[in-house]
Amino acid sequence: MLVQPPRMESDEILIERTLQGELTAFEQLVERHRGIVFRVAARIVGPDDAEDVSQDTFLRAFHRLKQYRGTATFRTWLLQITQNTALNSLAWARRRPVEAVSESPDPPDHDPIRQPAVELERRERQQRLELKLTALRPEYRSLLVLRDLEGLSYDEIADVLDMPLGSVKGRLHRARGELIELLRNNTYDWELPA
Amino acid sequence: MNAGDWTADELTPAERRLNEHLELLRASPPTVAPGLVPRVLRGVRWQRAIRDPLVMVGTVAAALAEGLSVLFKPRAGRS
Repeated sequence: MLVQPPRMESDEILIERTLQGELTAFEQLVERHRGIVFRVAARIVGPDDAEDVSQDTFLRAFHRLKQYRGTATFRTWLLQITQNTALNSLAWARRRPVEAVSESPDPPDHDPIRQPAVELERRERQQRLELKLTALRPEYRSLLVLRDLEGLSYDEIADVLDMPLGSVKGRLHRARGELIELLRNNTYDWELPA
Repeated sequence: MNAGDWTADELTPAERRLNEHLELLRASPPTVAPGLVPRVLRGVRWQRAIRDPLVMVGTVAAALAEGLSVLFKPRAGRS
């Protein structure tokens, strides 16, 4: 006898069930969307604070679930909360004394002797690129992450950032321009094939 | 994860170059901490348990403060 795979319920049904008190339904929503929430948070606030921002995002979403009107997708609504939580976290971090960030940190968990040179170089370039991305102002960083790393449509980004479509396109163009300038300051990286 | 869809954009040569660089980040997305879901659910259970009593205490305190402010409000015309 064939075993039927478990039916995938829509976000709307899971929201309805959560509002009726079923925590397992909310657990499924978290499982479904944790990837994109964590990635966006990590790209905006950095990997160290990403878990806290993701947790806050889901907790806020849970408490505001009654306010979700369904005019945008649940993912868009969740990314709105993620973006706001991440920017608040950055603003809060700016008020705290910060540790000095090294321009070329050592790869944390990689033994340079055992790692092939090419892979090591790739990791280092990735870290330098991540560092350049964090040098952008947070609003530009969010735009680049949502569009160029996560591949969201312009319409969805406009909903997430609560911004007219034209502004999204204009600011994205400027954000890319700023990152290009930052990368060009390091000619070595700019010229290397990705 | 969706790769950044740049095909809909008209790109300058520099932006095309940037897209090549960003491929490095798209290829290595941050991985979700395995304990995230249990942490969220623990937070939800804990907050749900204390939320209603806290809201009730807050409502009572606000009503009390409102009542006291009415009782002790300085009346106009009295010095």
